[in-house]
Amino acid sequence: MTMRMMGMALGNNVALIVVAGCSSVIQGMGPKNSYGYPALNIAFAAGPAAASGMWRAFKQRNKDVTVVVWAGDGGTADIGFASLSGAAERNENFIYVCVDNEAYMNSGGQRSGSTPHGAVTPTTPEGKKENKKELLFLMLDHHVPYAATASVGYPHDLMDKLRRAKTIEGFRYLQVLTPDPYGWLFDPSRTAEVGKLAVQTCYWPLLEVVNGRVQVSNESLHCLRKETRRPLRDFLSVQGRYKRLNDQDYKELESYVDYTWDRILKLMRT
Amino acid sequence: MMKVMSGNEAVALAVKLARVGVVGIYPITPQTTIIEELAEMRARGELSADIVRVESEHSAMAVTLGAAVSGVRSFTATSSQGLLYMHEMVWWTSGSRAPLVMVVATRAVGAPWNIWNENTDFMSERDSGWIMAFASTPQEALDLTLQAFRISEDPRVFLPVMVGMDGFILSHTKTNVFIPSQEDVDNFIPPRRQPYVIDPETKESMGNIFPPIYYMKLRQSIHEAITNSEEVIKEVGREYNKISPLGDYGTLNVSYKLDDADYAVVTMGAWSLDAMEAVDKLRENGLNVGLYRVRYIRPWSEKEIRENLGDKRAILVVDRATSLGRGGPLYLELKSTLNIPIKGVVTGLGGVSVGKRDFYSLISRFVEEARYSEVGGVEWYYPGEVKEVELGTPRTAH
Repeated sequence: MTMRMMGMALGNNVALIVVAGCSSVIQGMGPKNSYGYPALNIAFAAGPAAASGMWRAFKQRNKDVTVVVWAGDGGTADIGFASLSGAAERNENFIYVCVDNEAYMNSGGQRSGSTPHGAVTPTTPEGKKENKKELLFLMLDHHVPYAATASVGYPHDLMDKLRRAKTIEGFRYLQVLTPDPYGWLFDPSRTAEVGKLAVQTCYWPLLEVVNGRVQVSNESLHCLRKETRRPLRDFLSVQGRYKRLNDQDYKELESYVDYTWDRILKLMRT
Repeated sequence: MMKVMSGNEAVALAVKLARVGVVGIYPITPQTTIIEELAEMRARGELSADIVRVESEHSAMAVTLGAAVSGVRSFTATSSQGLLYMHEMVWWTSGSRAPLVMVVATRAVGAPWNIWNENTDFMSERDSGWIMAFASTPQEALDLTLQAFRISEDPRVFLPVMVGMDGFILSHTKTNVFIPSQEDVDNFIPPRRQPYVIDPETKESMGNIFPPIYYMKLRQSIHEAITNSEEVIKEVGREYNKISPLGDYGTLNVSYKLDDADYAVVTMGAWSLDAMEAVDKLRENGLNVGLYRVRYIRPWSEKEIRENLGDKRAILVVDRATSLGRGGPLYLELKSTLNIPIKGVVTGLGGVSVGKRDFYSLISRFVEEARYSEVGGVEWYYPGEVKEVELGTPRTAH
């Protein structure tokens, strides 16, 4: 879904770098692919560095091409993080899209650094003990000119952000929450709905940070005040991965949401 | 033009002369002065290449690959742990059939830490699908690097090329180097050619999943490209000889006083020059020996090797690298090529200093043995006082 929205938002002059993940597989067999973009498929940790070489090559050839790295949350938060951090710090000129389904879904849904507290995965059968890694905040600490979050539940917001990212020069980071029916255990027909619930319950904040200025997206404005947030239970209860959640885990997740929004409010004030 | 320069300076100059577009750099001893020199050239406005100062060697190779597949000539350099750290991308690059060039200033591999020379890092990539050349002088480091760009971008090859040189011994030692003119190099290296270019206009993709049969065919095509590159390398070498008066690149490997020799010693890299001096001395003393220097590990020229060494009574192969548990890689390669008695020596690891006297004693002892018995096996040779090596680590051995 996210890929289709990107096609609509970014137009034709795009070159993709796809790191290991579902998207390496679903594009179909080589030498062509089903994306409509030229794609360099590459090893798990190599995306941001390969993009650093690619956009410079296009510059040397005087070609105006938007380079996009397409990676999952495992490729972003874990194995590819050094490469991502290096490229962000160097302010390399490309868009990095992290498709965040909160686990290593391509290899069967094992926990990643981006898996939330309490979620059951094949490698955390008793539920994950640690909180989700704060990728957006980490990217902001790299002084990148553009960083944003989106959800497949709100495609217009997602496309707006991609379009805006395209107009900015330098390193652009976009993290899209993409609920995975097989890993999160809900019916596939409810994917967009779960993507909306994540935002409505304020579990997943929709934000845009341009040159350090934080803008909370319309869909998330109600989260700024604790009283107007929809109960987190509405998001968790539709998913099978939280079946082991006890009261203490629930409180932990609630305080995670509070912490996230406190941090956003602090960023808005500075 | 002649100039006194180190191996690393010679390589940096070759990169400039080849009009490289993108260089991925990450520091590691003893390769570092290559990238420092390139950064300085760029700062002085002499180099048009875009320099990407990445955060690891894995990324250095990824940057270089990303630029190469997008249509631009690219280069990187590394050593030791750096080469091992980028190992995954080394394979991804050859599998992508991406023409590009990397120089490896060789160094021992840890643990324990050791910054001195040994060729095991370079040799450990011999299965990775690259063309692999190894220099014996700063002059050759420059020459082989320039030739590497043309070989790599030849449609009959379309593979990455790795040029090795002994760390410190070549990388940091200055000798007189002949530098071909920019005009000659421009004529020597044609505009970039490559099998495909990532471009929104053509929408070609690479690295996708293929059905098994195509994957295997791709692997075989790399194998064939390596074996067929032998003719390309000789052709490129002959062309290079025209722009460099000292050039001797009509063959892949180099023979020294082999024609009438009964016995031969086989080496690679800088210490071959010490071995040549030992051969001269041994000949003065009546021993009929010659030397064969391997310059290309891949392709491995069975033909040249058989022609030059096939009629010898026995050969001695001296490795500055190991395939632990099996001896030296050069020794193993020669064993699989020739059907004559071959003895292997592993020495010089981790910077252990081996000079012409050692070669003299190794070769003379070998000839003595070979005259009266069937030689074979692998000897670990220590110059000087080492008489015994304890099993277990030095700390726990009693």
